[in-house]
Amino acid sequence: MVFFQLLALAGFLAGLYGIYIRYAQTKARAFPADKSPLKGNPSHGIAYAFTKGMMPWAKESTRLHMIAYLRGIGFHIGIFTAIGALIISPFWTLLPSLLSLTLGWALTLGAILGAAGGLMRIVEHNLRGLSIPDDHFAVWLVTVWMAVSAAAVWDEAWMAAYYILSAITMAYVPLGKIRHCLYFFFSRVFFGKFFGRRAVYPHPDVAK
Amino acid sequence: MTETIELALKTLEAQLNQPLETALEACARCGLCAESCHYYRAEPKVKHIPAFRAERLRSVYRYEHDFLSRLFPVWTGAKKLDEPTLASLTEIAFSQCTLCRRCTVNCPLGVDTPLMMRAIRAVTTASGTAPEILVMLADAAIEKGKDPSFFKDMFLEQIAEMEEQLRDITGDPTATIPVEKQGAKILYVPLAGAHTILPPAAVFNVAKEDWTLSIFEAANYGVFLADVNRAKQVAKRIVDEANRLGVKEIVIAECGHAYASYRWDVPNWFAGQFDFKVRSLIEVLADYIRDGKIKVDPTAIPEGVTYHDSCNLARNGGLIEEPRYVLKNVVRDFREMTPNRDQAICCGGGGGLVALAEYAERRIAAGKPKAEQIKQTGARIVVAACENCRLQIGDLNERYKLNVQITAITDLVVRAMRLPKPLPGHEAERLFEGEEAAVVRE
Repeated sequence: MVFFQLLALAGFLAGLYGIYIRYAQTKARAFPADKSPLKGNPSHGIAYAFTKGMMPWAKESTRLHMIAYLRGIGFHIGIFTAIGALIISPFWTLLPSLLSLTLGWALTLGAILGAAGGLMRIVEHNLRGLSIPDDHFAVWLVTVWMAVSAAAVWDEAWMAAYYILSAITMAYVPLGKIRHCLYFFFSRVFFGKFFGRRAVYPHPDVAK
Repeated sequence: MTETIELALKTLEAQLNQPLETALEACARCGLCAESCHYYRAEPKVKHIPAFRAERLRSVYRYEHDFLSRLFPVWTGAKKLDEPTLASLTEIAFSQCTLCRRCTVNCPLGVDTPLMMRAIRAVTTASGTAPEILVMLADAAIEKGKDPSFFKDMFLEQIAEMEEQLRDITGDPTATIPVEKQGAKILYVPLAGAHTILPPAAVFNVAKEDWTLSIFEAANYGVFLADVNRAKQVAKRIVDEANRLGVKEIVIAECGHAYASYRWDVPNWFAGQFDFKVRSLIEVLADYIRDGKIKVDPTAIPEGVTYHDSCNLARNGGLIEEPRYVLKNVVRDFREMTPNRDQAICCGGGGGLVALAEYAERRIAAGKPKAEQIKQTGARIVVAACENCRLQIGDLNERYKLNVQITAITDLVVRAMRLPKPLPGHEAERLFEGEEAAVVRE
């Protein structure tokens, strides 16, 4: 098992390094300083972008597609849970049974939501039209990984498969579409700065 | 690789900063942005989803910058830039996106799709494939700035004629339209046409403002081309004029892109040489009303009035409540469109699209959601604080039989000021008010 654990660790470190390279490359690019006089507050804008601005009711798009949005949120919570689970995987046997059960179910739910997203990409007209092969691969890779994670939490027989799949998934993160996890943070910061500076967000609550 | 493609790629590379790379990388292609776009609302097809449009540029970017895409371009949809792709990018950026940023505020990740459309515009302008009319208009403005004496005498003659009208309207024989007044507090920058000079002049005179009129117009076609070099040259005319006259602030006419560029971009382009405050005329009107510098009759306009948020003023400019404050002081029956403010639907006229006759049909078709919004309010007057929006809503009025009157905020303010005579072209409205107005005046 140690070999498989080392394999997963190698994949994890490769993914982390790849993400760091991406981060460094983007940070090396110019960032145009904005010298225009402030109307609002960029820091408040950033805070809004990561909190109230992410709420399902904050945007017309998420209000219209509430179920799809919540599915996506649940899926991503599942992914972060899976990453946490991977980090503590050598100590799973030490977990209280209730926590172990909860972890398994959280990962299962994440996998179900992932599968729903994968199917939506195939079935739904707009999503199919928007998707590239990498999109399909990424969602199914992560979904299967979460499903196998759940299986491994409950049954040690899955551990070898789990670590192999973890290595592949983690190593793929910086290579394909999954790296948007890094750019999400950049994007929300830039969003908050831009609209915060101009006093568009946060905006006093008024009837829309 | 042809010279055009080489130039295009070189320009794309030069554009690639942190925000642009983030916009190119962050999209998860979830499709939630679809309904945020007025093109998609008008015609729900995949090609009108903002993420789909942006994907055209992403495919080129990936081919140049992504390891996996270079090995397996099909896997990531990467595409080598060639002449047909460049032509298609040009068409997308200039005819299928008004840079309104409604998709950005509705994206769960905040992907700045208009930033990518601007990058395409910059690429196509640099490689000589941008719409010729926009290039010509920008270059004409630059030429005008090089030798103002070429048009100045004629301009001053027109202003002198307008001054006569102004005295007639205000009933004040001393009312003036000062031009190049040294040391004035405000430099007011109009658009081409008396309709953006006479009403503000009436307001400034009644408010006893220390102002002067710019000899240049606020419009900047370099901005639409995303050509910073051209845009800077156009803006420099006004920056130089303001510096020469020693004004304290520049006030921009009711114009979306001009306000957004002078308020948010020009201070960056001319850092160190730009110490003026920039305000929209709307902000000035709001202050005059708040400070009692002008008296307005809140019952002056009895018709139902609705306000269209220009994307450059509201979502991209932060001017959201100021126009509403002004309107609520001069209008008896104010009706909001739904949605409004930061979520307002673009009318379809922004981004320089009203100047592109070749895409007029597409533009008017994409304005259908706005036309429906207007219809739902049942208002008789549509106010827009942007010239391009007014032109577009004018076209929508005709196409979708809205039967509305389209006007600027200042025009309504002047009406509510109850001056002795109406603005030219507004005589019919004064008649429409009939006895009711006379009673209020008494």
